[in-house]
Amino acid sequence: MSAFDGQARQAPAAGLPPRWGMVVDLNRCIGCQTCTIACKHANDTPPGMQWRQVLDVELGEFPDVQRLFLVTGCQHCDDPPCVPVCPTGATYRRADGIVAIDHDRCIGCGSCAVACPYQARHIAHDRKRYFGELDTLQERAVARPERIGVAQKCTFCVGKIDATLKHGMTPGKDLHATPVCAAACITQALRFGDFNDPDSDVARLVRENDSFVLNEAQGTRPMIRYLYQTPAIPGGGPDLAAMDDDRMRDPGNPLVGKLQQRWDLRAAMNFTLGGAGAGLAVATWLAQTALDLPASVARFHYPFAAAIIAAGLLSVFFEIGRKRRFLHALRRPQTSWMSREIYAVGLLYLLVAANLWQPRPTLAPLIAASAAAFLYCQARILHAGKGIPAWRAPLIPWMLLASGLFEGFGALLAVLFVTGQAVPATEASPLVLLLAALNGWLWRDYRADAEAGGIGPLARDRIDAATPWLHAVGHAVPVLLALAALAAPAGAAAPLLAVAGVAACAGGAVWKIVVVTRAAHFQNLDLPRLPRRGSGTRSAFAAGAEYIEGSP
Amino acid sequence: MTAPSTRRIPVYCYQCVAGPDLLKVEVKNDVAVRIAPNFDICNEHPGGGRVCVKAYGLIQKTYNPHRIAGPMRRTNPLKGRAHDPGFVRISWEEALDTIAAKLREIRAKGVIDEQGYPRVAASFGGGGTPTQYMGTLPAFLSAWGPVDMGFGSGQGVKCYHSEHLYGELWHRAFIVSPDTPRCRYVISCGTNTDASGGVAGVWRHADARARGIKRVQVEPHLSIAGAMAGEWVPIRPKTDAAFLYALIHRILHERDWREACDVPFLAHDTNAPYLVGPNGYFLRDPATRKPLVLDPADGTAKPFDAGAREPALEGVHKAAGVEVGPDDQVWTHAAAVDAKPAFQALRDHIARYTPDWAAAQCDIPAATIRRIADEFLAHACVGQTVEIGGRTMPFRPVAVILGKTVNNGWGGYQAVWARTVLACLVGALEVPGGLLGTNVKINRPAGDRLKSVQPGPDGFMHYPFNETTRDGWQAKPHIRNAYRTLVPLAGHSPWSAALGPAHLPWLFQRKPPERWPAPSKPELWFVYRTNPAISSWEAPEVARRIAEFPFVVAFAYTRDETNHMADILLPEATDLESLQLMQIGGTKFIEQFWAHHGWAVRQPTGKPPVDCRDMTEIATALAERTGLLAAYNEAINRGAAGVKLKGADYDYSLDPSGAHGSEAIWNRVALAASHELSHGEEVHGIDWFRENGFMLRPFPETDWYLYPTLKERGLRFEIPYQERIKRHGTQLAARLHEIGVAWWDKQLGEYEPLPHYHAFPDIYVGYARSVGRDPDEFPFWALTARSMQYAWGSNAGLPIINEVALNVAGHKGVIINRSTARRLGIGEGDPVRIESVAGATEGRAVLREGVRPDTIVMIGQFDHWATPFAKDLGLASLNSVAPMALSLTDATGSGADLVRVKLGPAPGARSAA
Repeated sequence: MSAFDGQARQAPAAGLPPRWGMVVDLNRCIGCQTCTIACKHANDTPPGMQWRQVLDVELGEFPDVQRLFLVTGCQHCDDPPCVPVCPTGATYRRADGIVAIDHDRCIGCGSCAVACPYQARHIAHDRKRYFGELDTLQERAVARPERIGVAQKCTFCVGKIDATLKHGMTPGKDLHATPVCAAACITQALRFGDFNDPDSDVARLVRENDSFVLNEAQGTRPMIRYLYQTPAIPGGGPDLAAMDDDRMRDPGNPLVGKLQQRWDLRAAMNFTLGGAGAGLAVATWLAQTALDLPASVARFHYPFAAAIIAAGLLSVFFEIGRKRRFLHALRRPQTSWMSREIYAVGLLYLLVAANLWQPRPTLAPLIAASAAAFLYCQARILHAGKGIPAWRAPLIPWMLLASGLFEGFGALLAVLFVTGQAVPATEASPLVLLLAALNGWLWRDYRADAEAGGIGPLARDRIDAATPWLHAVGHAVPVLLALAALAAPAGAAAPLLAVAGVAACAGGAVWKIVVVTRAAHFQNLDLPRLPRRGSGTRSAFAAGAEYIEGSP
Repeated sequence: MTAPSTRRIPVYCYQCVAGPDLLKVEVKNDVAVRIAPNFDICNEHPGGGRVCVKAYGLIQKTYNPHRIAGPMRRTNPLKGRAHDPGFVRISWEEALDTIAAKLREIRAKGVIDEQGYPRVAASFGGGGTPTQYMGTLPAFLSAWGPVDMGFGSGQGVKCYHSEHLYGELWHRAFIVSPDTPRCRYVISCGTNTDASGGVAGVWRHADARARGIKRVQVEPHLSIAGAMAGEWVPIRPKTDAAFLYALIHRILHERDWREACDVPFLAHDTNAPYLVGPNGYFLRDPATRKPLVLDPADGTAKPFDAGAREPALEGVHKAAGVEVGPDDQVWTHAAAVDAKPAFQALRDHIARYTPDWAAAQCDIPAATIRRIADEFLAHACVGQTVEIGGRTMPFRPVAVILGKTVNNGWGGYQAVWARTVLACLVGALEVPGGLLGTNVKINRPAGDRLKSVQPGPDGFMHYPFNETTRDGWQAKPHIRNAYRTLVPLAGHSPWSAALGPAHLPWLFQRKPPERWPAPSKPELWFVYRTNPAISSWEAPEVARRIAEFPFVVAFAYTRDETNHMADILLPEATDLESLQLMQIGGTKFIEQFWAHHGWAVRQPTGKPPVDCRDMTEIATALAERTGLLAAYNEAINRGAAGVKLKGADYDYSLDPSGAHGSEAIWNRVALAASHELSHGEEVHGIDWFRENGFMLRPFPETDWYLYPTLKERGLRFEIPYQERIKRHGTQLAARLHEIGVAWWDKQLGEYEPLPHYHAFPDIYVGYARSVGRDPDEFPFWALTARSMQYAWGSNAGLPIINEVALNVAGHKGVIINRSTARRLGIGEGDPVRIESVAGATEGRAVLREGVRPDTIVMIGQFDHWATPFAKDLGLASLNSVAPMALSLTDATGSGADLVRVKLGPAPGARSAA
């Protein structure tokens, strides 16, 4: 329970434990970057990394323009999406609300980074220097090797808070006990304090003023609140909705979410190979059950499926920052789908090994079940990237499951053909048609819902661009080949179905690579309210503007 | 292994004029690792004890691997951008001996050359900030004798030039500021306070905004300060004076001025009631020569100080008297002639400048102009008072402030005059809430602007004009920028050389005007904390002129474009490596209004990574080697290090015959400073300051305001009518014509008692024609704007500053209106070329809506070609295209950062998209 569980303007009840947070006044912040650089000094962040960033935002069109400076960074959310996704427990929320990171535990998998709708998490994979290869005495003195390859972000200067509280200081009141960005701010735009202390600056400011939080719709309940009015400057907005697609495509617009860089092709390959491999295991068991695939054949399909999954996992292994610590990823099965994925795959490997060593009929369904569990975990992993609208779309888990099954069945058809086995077209083709239709329909709906689901124009452009290819390769080709197989003589059906299967796998790869690496733009920053100031119709003082007489 | 020893060492940051701010440097094992504000002074410093973004660059500045590692000597005699200087390391002994030998050689010839100019010249960075880092170098220069300090590095075009000169004349305001803590309504014509106001300025303005101050920002592009204002009015460049004139018109002709204005203030605290005779000079009492006012009580004209309770401000009156014109020319009006109060002359003068007229000039709707004028009046609180420090004073919480390019160059006089008139109309000059000056640089004493309020003629303050009379005029310039000869307002203080036409030496070196000798080149030029080869207008041209100097001694931090032409590089101990004590508090520069004053220390924080030396040690060594030690020490004793070492009740003088180390010198300064500050009650040596950082005593807030002092001395503001300006202008014209100089005639036209508005943009548009080009070739205005991150600090070579500056729009390239860019086929990040008649510069397009479609903006000063790191930034610079020309120089000797340019994709460059 915190002061923010109710109305921001409500006075907090006395006696609650501290709930640290910040208030940013948009009419004070001048975008000077002092907080940013002070943070860099105090926290020894490497070149290019800014835990506290201030964006220079422009809204409107000449001659009706306004400009504002938006302080961003970790919002220390009440319901932080970065915490449950962390597979190691390195990211955690303290009792006082500070979201912290144990750098010695973090493996640098990036799950937290893609879960954060505020782009507040960073990973440096190697040590950078400001002067290229030239090292300076100071940089050597403040180097933080423990932070290489792990997630890092604003900590609210937690070490300082903990140390100074012991000495009876009050963070937010005593400058030496206050996070440096707030203590260094030259306009007092950033205030820090305990929202549960009614006497704190932050509690008073939100009690006495209207305020908002960033990206409220994401439900993260951030602990940074923004003030936007003064006695002379009325409130306005929201404005983001009024921004046309051109402005939301503008790479110079800082409100536009950037393309995520944490998960690249290596991660996409995990979803591609993982989906196909898990699908193959499931499809094999289904084929055993429904299509009378002999167990003696199926027995060798399972290790093949496991190998495909392993290749995917190996691929993503190369992406994590701290490879030697990868077993830490087993530490958070309570909440992390990544931890669960590893447990699921571990079980899968045990069962596959057992089945290989001593085949038993009871093992196949267990293998299929663990593969399905693995596939489901993967679906949830991507869906848990709440910072990426293209990933958190409600259809994403369904798409990964359906695609995995289609790819798995496709892989099965290809494997059977290569190994000289065959499934009659009369049995295989309807399944191909069904799965192709299912996947095509899911993609069509995903695309149709994209804008409403908050996927910005930059990401939508890439989704749109991939669509013809996906439909052609991943859906139309399998359908046509499946139909052809039905009409083809018995000997010709198998290769047609095999090619259909390969096309299904290719289709899966296409959309996953596009969604994971190309349409993966972060959540835009959504400002529900604005200071009303600027030129033309945005002026605080021009005729028609709400006008509040200031009285110093 | 022992734990690293961590210390937090107090120092000051005075990289920009808006300082000083105090900080602490965290030092571990002799390595400075972090910067943090000095919170020990958070209650006394008007910016809460904070430091701005620049201070955090100081550590990277200290450990910059591109620093000059030790003294260097040039081996390539050829100088110029294309020539590698071939610097080689030499010892400090060799470096100092070489310089001293040159200085002794010069001294043997005489310190003044055949043309009458000092053989030694020195250029320092703007705003006097280098003084806070150069230790006792001023004492060496003082011991040396005449030094030409008039080679500008951008002064005039980069400063608030007209504001400096006229501000000092009218209200002891080298810098003008609103009384931000009390002000309620500010009209800001291009003042980028939130980027240039320093920590104290932005802190005060943020508080004011939270309180409810209303600020209207009038400027062609939406600056940082514009972003924070309630309203942005996108005015056409260089038409600010027209806008301000229309505000005056609204008040004087469309509103009931008697109701709206502060009539008693106008009548008794300005020259508004002074009668102006038919020749444009004050009508004076024949006996006392005092200006007359018309007393409606008895219908007679009487001297201004003869007790007229409500002197007439309006009408045309018959009165007898004399007018005293130029060169003591007297018009005797024994019979009554038509005379009108200066205020009536003002009303008549301003009648033509209607809001509708201004709307066409400024591209601002007339209704907006009227609304702003009305709001100004509505917030002026005419008649109200406030009590401060037990003293009741007028309360007028309105101000008009002006930014660079508005308050310098052509139109600068008109703009500063109009805004001062606006303040006077409502009695808002130098009173709580209103328009204040912060410091003096021309008037004396420099440390106390209230004490500079001394009686002058006609009930006004004394002002140290340079003489323009036949007998007094200095026909032969004593330095190459000729400020005493050409600019009466520049006065003759140590600052005046920098306040003259500081670009003229460069311009005349290229091509002297008629009947003016080509200035000799200085035989030795010291350059410190400045980079004129980048920062001047038409910087590439200045770089070429520097290359012609025979012997350049550059105190050098890294290689740069100016020291590329140096003969000797001396790596001085920089900000965190040297020792100095400086005065803080009181009222200073931009918005430094303190309730305290005192002293703060700057000291070495760790072991320097290069073989550098403290400037004080360098100055002492030069003095010793040139046989000037006694004079040098005496200069320090007289106060060259900031305080006299011998006062009425103390004597900490240095032994004139000794060569004293930096520690010893600054210890004496510390003793004298603390003694003087505390009247002997708390005397501390330098070690105490090194430990404690600063020492303060209260400074009365009432001393922020000049008005009470004026009232105490029975003086009034010399506004709105500029009789002395008119007289000086006429006399100066006569003097120059007497020696056949006609090339300053256009400037002489500026000396008007009530300045007319001219179509100032046309001067800049038409310049192309004067050099044989078609103005239509150059359809855009190019402007610059302040970068808080880069300004002043030699920060262009610091990657950490670049990193954070990139978060602020415009630091990646040239700001262009999005619609304009679209029309020209330019996309975000595309390489663009900006070309003027003077040169070209290239950068990348930054597309914004907050800029007029006819205007582009290049923030800061870049286009480096030698400074490490900076030279790879690929940033455009206005200085590369701004022509340096007499026709673009106003009467005060300043220009404006304003150029007509053509804009297009850079040839051969590929689109970023």
